[in-house]
Amino acid sequence: MGQALVSGVVVGGIFGLLAVGIVLVYKGARVINFAQAEIGTFCLYVAYFVVDGDDGLGLPWIVGALAALVIGGLVSFAFERLVVRRMFGAERLSVAVATIGLLLLLFSLELKFFGSAPRFLAKPIDGLGPKVFGIFVSPTQLLALVAALAIGFGLTAFLQRTDFGLGVLAAAEDANAARLVGVPLARVSAFSWTVAGALSVIAAVLVEPTIGIFFPGVMTLLFVPALAAALVGGLSSIAGAFVGGLVIGVVDQVVRYLFLGSSIAAPEIIASFLVILVVLLIRPQGLLARRAA
Amino acid sequence: MATAGGATLEAVGVRAGFGAATVLHGVDVSVGSGEVVAILGLNGAGKSVTLKVLAGLLPARAGTVRLDGEDVTALSPEQRVGRGMGHVLQGRHVFGELTVEQNLRLGAYLLRRKSPAAYQPALAGVLDRFPRLAERRSQLAGSLSGGEQAMLAVGRALMGGPRIVLVDEPTAGLSPLVSAGLVDTLEATRETGVTMLLVEQNTRFALDLADRILVMRQGVVVHDAPTDKVDHDDLAELLGIGRLLSASVAKPAAPEAAVATKKATPRKKAVAKKKATVERAAAKKVSPKKTATPKKAAPRKTGLTKKKAAVKKASSRKSTAAK
Amino acid sequence: MTYRPTRRQVTALAVVVAAIVLPPLLSRLIPGVFTDARASMLGIGVTYAAMALSLNLLMGYAGQISLGHGALLATGAYTSGILTGRYGWSYMFGVMVAMVMGAAIAFIVGLPALRLRGIYLAITTLGFAAVMDAAILKIPYLSRGSAGVELPRPVANTFIFTENADYLALILVITTVVWLLDANVVRTKLGRAFFGIREDERVAQSFGVDVARYKMIAFMLSGALAGLAGAMHGHLLLFVESRTFAFPLFSLTIVAFVVIGGLGSRVGVVVAAASFGVVPQLLRAVQGWDLILGSALLIFAMARHPGGVAGAIAEAREKKEIRAARRQGEEDDASTQPLPDLAALPLPISDTPTATSGPLLEVRDIHVTFGGLKAVDGADLVVPEGKIIGLIGPNGAGKTTLFNTISGFVTPDAGVLKLRGNDIGALAPHQRAQAGLGRTFQLVGLAKRLSVHQNLLLAQHARANYGLISSLAYLPRAGRTEADLEARATEALEAIGFAEFADRPIDQLSGGQQRIVEIACALMNAPDLLMLDEPSAGMAPGVIESLALRLRQLRDELGRTILIIEHHIPLVMDVCDEVWVMASGRTLAHGSPQEVIARTDVIEAYLGAPTLAGVGGVPRSAAAGLGRPAARGMGG
Repeated sequence: MGQALVSGVVVGGIFGLLAVGIVLVYKGARVINFAQAEIGTFCLYVAYFVVDGDDGLGLPWIVGALAALVIGGLVSFAFERLVVRRMFGAERLSVAVATIGLLLLLFSLELKFFGSAPRFLAKPIDGLGPKVFGIFVSPTQLLALVAALAIGFGLTAFLQRTDFGLGVLAAAEDANAARLVGVPLARVSAFSWTVAGALSVIAAVLVEPTIGIFFPGVMTLLFVPALAAALVGGLSSIAGAFVGGLVIGVVDQVVRYLFLGSSIAAPEIIASFLVILVVLLIRPQGLLARRAA
Repeated sequence: MATAGGATLEAVGVRAGFGAATVLHGVDVSVGSGEVVAILGLNGAGKSVTLKVLAGLLPARAGTVRLDGEDVTALSPEQRVGRGMGHVLQGRHVFGELTVEQNLRLGAYLLRRKSPAAYQPALAGVLDRFPRLAERRSQLAGSLSGGEQAMLAVGRALMGGPRIVLVDEPTAGLSPLVSAGLVDTLEATRETGVTMLLVEQNTRFALDLADRILVMRQGVVVHDAPTDKVDHDDLAELLGIGRLLSASVAKPAAPEAAVATKKATPRKKAVAKKKATVERAAAKKVSPKKTATPKKAAPRKTGLTKKKAAVKKASSRKSTAAK
Repeated sequence: MTYRPTRRQVTALAVVVAAIVLPPLLSRLIPGVFTDARASMLGIGVTYAAMALSLNLLMGYAGQISLGHGALLATGAYTSGILTGRYGWSYMFGVMVAMVMGAAIAFIVGLPALRLRGIYLAITTLGFAAVMDAAILKIPYLSRGSAGVELPRPVANTFIFTENADYLALILVITTVVWLLDANVVRTKLGRAFFGIREDERVAQSFGVDVARYKMIAFMLSGALAGLAGAMHGHLLLFVESRTFAFPLFSLTIVAFVVIGGLGSRVGVVVAAASFGVVPQLLRAVQGWDLILGSALLIFAMARHPGGVAGAIAEAREKKEIRAARRQGEEDDASTQPLPDLAALPLPISDTPTATSGPLLEVRDIHVTFGGLKAVDGADLVVPEGKIIGLIGPNGAGKTTLFNTISGFVTPDAGVLKLRGNDIGALAPHQRAQAGLGRTFQLVGLAKRLSVHQNLLLAQHARANYGLISSLAYLPRAGRTEADLEARATEALEAIGFAEFADRPIDQLSGGQQRIVEIACALMNAPDLLMLDEPSAGMAPGVIESLALRLRQLRDELGRTILIIEHHIPLVMDVCDEVWVMASGRTLAHGSPQEVIARTDVIEAYLGAPTLAGVGGVPRSAAAGLGRPAARGMGG
């Protein structure tokens, strides 16, 4: 059980990163970015190409991870520039469908160039790791946890303390008003999408050692729990989304642990869905969101 | 293209609309430096649309908008803000999830990029002018009372040291108490010589605050005169609430046709307020000391009454054609 | 009355019959060209089209987003597969039960989700699809390990549809039936109610549409059609497993079909889905590039034409019209077009209001609070039968909120609402509309993207008393009623002089024109009480005069009762028998128009003056003291 809690927090941090990406885009553009998670998968293949000795260049893990990060940001940035921006006045649903297109495109590229066979990346750090209170915390888990927390806090600090970050928050709340104090909406939008893409890559690179393998579409399997996490935070709060991620992560791992060996398949997905239902029925504005004044 | 009198903000022959519908049919507006101008009109007369075009939120289909003589018709809202346009939006458009200070800091978004050193004095100036905001500095704007939010909205607009502030229906949706507070806020702001153009439904409020009144009806300016030249009955007639007033003084109901004869635009130079201009120049620096100037300044309307606004019949459509 | 099909209908019929007859024929004449595999490929195009039709009904018509349609398709395929494959049922019965199951699942998912709007329904359906994929379809009974479910095509113990070409003919027939059902939905009250909900739920309610019920009907109909489409698809493939409707890609792809085709465009979505079903298979030769090209095309298409195929076509047509108008030297400007003369308002149908002794509407001590702000603070209002009552007051006085409370869109904190002596406080807005309250909105309450004609039909929703089955099958009962509504709509169009604008979408009319259509719509149900919120806003003076004339006519000749919020005082003076004044959420005074407007407190309230002592009395003195009031209390 303790082990489940620990891995719950670790997985939760990763859901949190994905959820923050979803919220960042949703706040700014009122669009659910369906490609949010798949950008991560795509960039795992980029990392794989850089790191793997047989199929790729055989460079160190960290080079692969950085390359993945850059590509992830670029893909997202390009999508914002070339697609989202052109659809400024369009129905939000149409933009969401364009992100479905991006999801399908990334998925089909993965499939075309790497096939459907599972792959794995070399782990950044090896070993079983220290045992704390009888619970194993592997170095990769520790890395994931620290990185997720650092990014969560770092992003919040950036948004709260810099002019541009405040501009991002202001634009999310009231784009027109932000525009009329001089906040450059175009750059805010580019920033949100790019960071969301990068977050997806970070989440993917951090979670890959825990899952052990990856295949086309792997990260999109995490999309529903990540969406549930974002919803717990009310789809509007960065911090709420991150905390929501932790909640969903713990629920996910504990449910898996409790239903180990039971005949019910994927109890954790059912749990995520139940969380969504409960949130929507009780507090559609989000469990952690402030009550509107 | 030198503009007569060097109006701070000037729009000539503006036509605009949404989709197939044209809402503005050639609107002329001019606001002199240090002047406060109010646009009155019933729902749907095109007041807010005019403001949108001036702000750059809606493209003008014809006509020109000039800010300090520079043609800004093709500029984006952000660029206009960068050139000295400040905005107080309709309702309470403060950023509720940010603190008071963060809101003010955003008001100086462009200022901080241009000259970071000017920020602290500007902040001090605004906090000095609105001590209540200083008290609530680190509180979330969403938790402020309605009046304080309105104050914050004005303070935010002043942070960048604007040449002109566009105020859109400041009292709309506010309770009477909050409206009253806002009136005080805006009056205090005017006393420091800030140039303002406001759109307002509350006639009395507009009459109190403005040096000059424009009345719009069906997408054109049908009346333009200094406030103390505005005959109350005529104004009521122009607004279409004529019979309410007429009946109350037991006069026979005036026919609607009266409106047609009232089409007028005054000379742009008609309004010059030296005192206000001086004050404005002082306020522009927004030094904390200067804001100590007496809030109830000398009678500001004396200059106005002497200069009769020349009234000429001007078809606004003609000016469009001339352009 | 003999039915004469139009030329287009004859052509369409010929094409459909040819499409259905050709596959079996060709497969026998030229088996080398029209192979079994090719028939199957075309079949996928057909089943995709059926799927898209199912989702279009929900998303395109009713505006409710489902991101989990794959789950409903799987429901259909598994149901029919188990019944036919394991229990030896006939194909037709399997498919029918699949439809029932689809509708049932939609009902269960819809119960919690349809309370909520927009994005939340989308998230719930997505979550449900995830559960379906990961948990439900993994249940051993369904998955049989990973063997999945086989779907044979038995019909009465014979296998006459074994050949794909023959089966293709069968699903073409079924899909054609679905198409016709869909067309019936659109041309009856069912579709109009869906459109109304999509455009503006409040407006739909004000026309008497039970929004919750119709949303559920839309979702269940869509579920049934999805069950059908899923079953057809499964029987085409002969086998399904959990990856057949792979989560979430399959569901999202169908959403893409519908948006690419153009939301709500039957032709568009069928063309989009069928071509996405068939064309990529042609590209199979270029291994893997089919999906890459398809998805890149999807992104490109959305960026270029967010409105999809149908949107792009409409755009092109519009551009052409504008160009044509320019060539004629005409401005493309609805507001410069002459506003039709308001010759008459549509006359209410014969049923004259039943006279009662008491007042028609009685409002007592209503209180409404919005987030701490007292919008209405103890308002009273009495509307006697057969009178025109004005409600005036400054902006923000709470007039519109009071209107919304009376019509049921706002729930008051306290107070009593009685219509003909019956308490209506517990009724939903659509029930109040059916009980005889008709209203207009401050910001024109019409379905903006529907035509004038469609709005006039939607407005008669409460009068279209035929059932769901009549709608779907377009039974004679529905036909007769529709003809009736049609006749009344045409009458109304002519009465208000809008015959030539009949097919124009509302948002292409000027503000004044929209007002007139809105009032006409409110009158279509012959409401006992007609409530008008600022009817003269945006109207030209001449039209206001004829509006006044028509309002008086409604009262004097037809005994109608009208409650009117109005800023244009001359109109109030002109038509009202009695005027109530609101200020700061309270009803301040009431009496004859002359009485009321002579009161100084009313004038003060009306001019929006803050309460102060100096400027009381006659407005002349106010004009003299125009400067600034001497003192004002500091607020906040």
